[in-house]
Amino acid sequence: MSATREVISTGNDLAAIAAVDAGCMFFGGYPLTPSSEVMHTISDLLPKVGGTAIQMEDEIAGICCVIGAAMGGIRALTATSGPGVSLKAENLGLAQMAEVPLVLVNVMRGGPSTGLPTRVSQGDIKQASNPSHGDYRSITLCAGNLAECYTETVRAFNLADRFMQPVIVLLDETIGHMHGKAMLPTVEEVKAGIVPRKRFDGPAEEYRPYECGPTEPAVLNPMFEGYRYHYTGLHHDSMGFPTEEIETCRKLIQRLEDKVMAHQDEIELNEEFMMDDLTGEEGEVLIIAYGSVSLAAKEAIRHLRADGIKAGLFRPITIWPSPAAKIAEHTSKIKNVLCVELNIRQYTEEIERASSRLDIEGLYKVNGRAISPHEIVAKVKEVF
Amino acid sequence: MAVMTAPENTPVWVDTARCKACDICVDACPAGVLSMQAEPTSTLGAMISVIAPDSCIGCNECELSCPDFAIYVADKKEFKFSKLTGDAKARQEAIANNGFRLPTDYKEAN
Amino acid sequence: MAFNYDKYLRVEKMPTLWCWGCGDGVILKSFIRAVDKLGISKDDMCVVSGIGCSGRFSSYVDFNTVHTTHGRTIAYATGIKLANPDKHVVCVAGDGDSLAIGGNHTIHGCRRNIDITFIIINNFIYGLTNSQTSPTTPQGMWTVSQKAGNIDPTFDTCKLAIAAGASFVARENVTSPKKLEKVITQALKHKGFALVEALSNCHINLGRKNKMVSAMDNLDWIDSITVSKKKYDAMSPEEQLNLLPTGILHQDTEANEYCDMYAEIIKVHQGERKKITQDDFEKKI
Repeated sequence: MSATREVISTGNDLAAIAAVDAGCMFFGGYPLTPSSEVMHTISDLLPKVGGTAIQMEDEIAGICCVIGAAMGGIRALTATSGPGVSLKAENLGLAQMAEVPLVLVNVMRGGPSTGLPTRVSQGDIKQASNPSHGDYRSITLCAGNLAECYTETVRAFNLADRFMQPVIVLLDETIGHMHGKAMLPTVEEVKAGIVPRKRFDGPAEEYRPYECGPTEPAVLNPMFEGYRYHYTGLHHDSMGFPTEEIETCRKLIQRLEDKVMAHQDEIELNEEFMMDDLTGEEGEVLIIAYGSVSLAAKEAIRHLRADGIKAGLFRPITIWPSPAAKIAEHTSKIKNVLCVELNIRQYTEEIERASSRLDIEGLYKVNGRAISPHEIVAKVKEVF
Repeated sequence: MAVMTAPENTPVWVDTARCKACDICVDACPAGVLSMQAEPTSTLGAMISVIAPDSCIGCNECELSCPDFAIYVADKKEFKFSKLTGDAKARQEAIANNGFRLPTDYKEAN
Repeated sequence: MAFNYDKYLRVEKMPTLWCWGCGDGVILKSFIRAVDKLGISKDDMCVVSGIGCSGRFSSYVDFNTVHTTHGRTIAYATGIKLANPDKHVVCVAGDGDSLAIGGNHTIHGCRRNIDITFIIINNFIYGLTNSQTSPTTPQGMWTVSQKAGNIDPTFDTCKLAIAAGASFVARENVTSPKKLEKVITQALKHKGFALVEALSNCHINLGRKNKMVSAMDNLDWIDSITVSKKKYDAMSPEEQLNLLPTGILHQDTEANEYCDMYAEIIKVHQGERKKITQDDFEKKI
């Protein structure tokens, strides 16, 4: 999509605006710093277009009403921060199991627990890979600048409808509250790019919502349109009814995994910043960072190059599933790898797994403050 | 209105595939129409049986109290129900006092 | 002609998995008769159930059905209803689901007065998970989590609902299926949050260790603790102490319904009316 429309806003507001532009017609949530502005903004935008925004009595009710609305066939959004995702965990699992599409925006703050409500962290990376219990193959995106707060939210809705499951969009307090200029696609482009969920149009007697190919998502028609079936969080058969049958259960859980992993090419998105001239020579530095930290990393890379160090940034935009193949490719070529994140090694461990390397360097901060370009420059010079 | 036509000349009929032999309908009947009978292949070893259809007064208590969609009563337009007799009441008492089964040696009054 | 329940059932799911004599089936039948009496189309009805024996309710009826997580029926239903305000949304949950883990959602469903019918199947115990104490288990009864005797005081479901703002509150027993059908019919017709507490028997769990081994014993006990609202209102507090009134206990047809109020919000944002202020409400606090 293009980047031609100039908008001045905050990350949180852009996520709300993006949702409505992408066809979202329902918001349910609960105030939680630093995400509340998403709710405030969308509570004015949605009724304007005939949609509904409701502040529920708690975080759990917030996700449940969103799942309920999505069962009616409409695009639905919730927004929260880390503690809210913890509360929503069980019901995210039901949405995942029953294949109900929705978008959850998590504006990450200092954790764990009550943590630092008004300060930044990237502490929910591991949580996003499985916010619930049981096997859960997450689709998680991470906005690395203001424009991506908009474009990644739009992409999240299309991915949710394509893969029929919740999609998490990670912002963080820095980006959520950052106020500045974003270059966005036009609303017409966004609307033209909406790919709604598949539906079945044959006779109701032949409809089997959960009977699909082994790497395909369920085809869930909206309620109240003559196609009656059942939603449950239990293991279920082709009509959604609970079952414990051995093969049915095995195939269901395997399909929930494979429907994502067999189509990673449709989900993966990365940015390779100043990596074109990284060929694997001695002294080259690969920095891996995401979210607001990537802004500091890019600035640090400009400084390093001015100091004669060839550095580049690999920035996953889709965090989960991780771009394991790309990580393996780059880390097998470049010796000096520094992972920079506002947590303790949460994505570093995934990079270690994907690269089969245990010598990844790291710069971590968990006190609610941003990492500055200077700190990254100093760390690179210290360890490499 | 969701209705089903009664089988011909039948006041009350049962679906033994659905009955769980809970005894409630037998307890509810005022007229000794129903009884449990031994049925070794069913879970509780018993099954509902309509033993005295002629005594049925069409009160519908059995159908209303059955939790399992296992018993149905004809409409007053389809069947001429009996009035409640002393014999019917006596038989019901005997059934209720015998674990909801008609005593094997039960003799009707006449 | 007998009533043909099969029209509304997923007949391939029969017989139900409920225990022999479980009142849940009687409540299911009363509900079906009420839906039929009102001529509600199957496609216009959504039944949302919670976790517990009553949770299986939704899989037995041929409507749009949802089996949610424990305690959250009202939260899911709020989303379903707000997104489809002209459809019927009925929640069915047990006493534990609706008053323990789901207590908060029950309270706020009542408070919002959103047009949902909520059938609480109160069998005074956690049945499916085998006999743990619920917020309505009588004090002193044996439960598996309080084998020395239950010391937890109980909720009065209907008083709670009325205090929380539900505009229709009723209570009936499974021993009075025609009365139960009548209050469910009234609840479905009512515009606003309509709560029906259906007292049911769990002789397998509650009854077995509390001197009510048979279904009939358990049903007799339920009869012994209930009395019509008319008789109840004429009693002294001492007489009322161990009784629950049945019938329609509260109905307010004038209360604002939430979906209607949200439609006004939409009008405000679309420039069709001025903002909502305190002057729009009789109750200002």
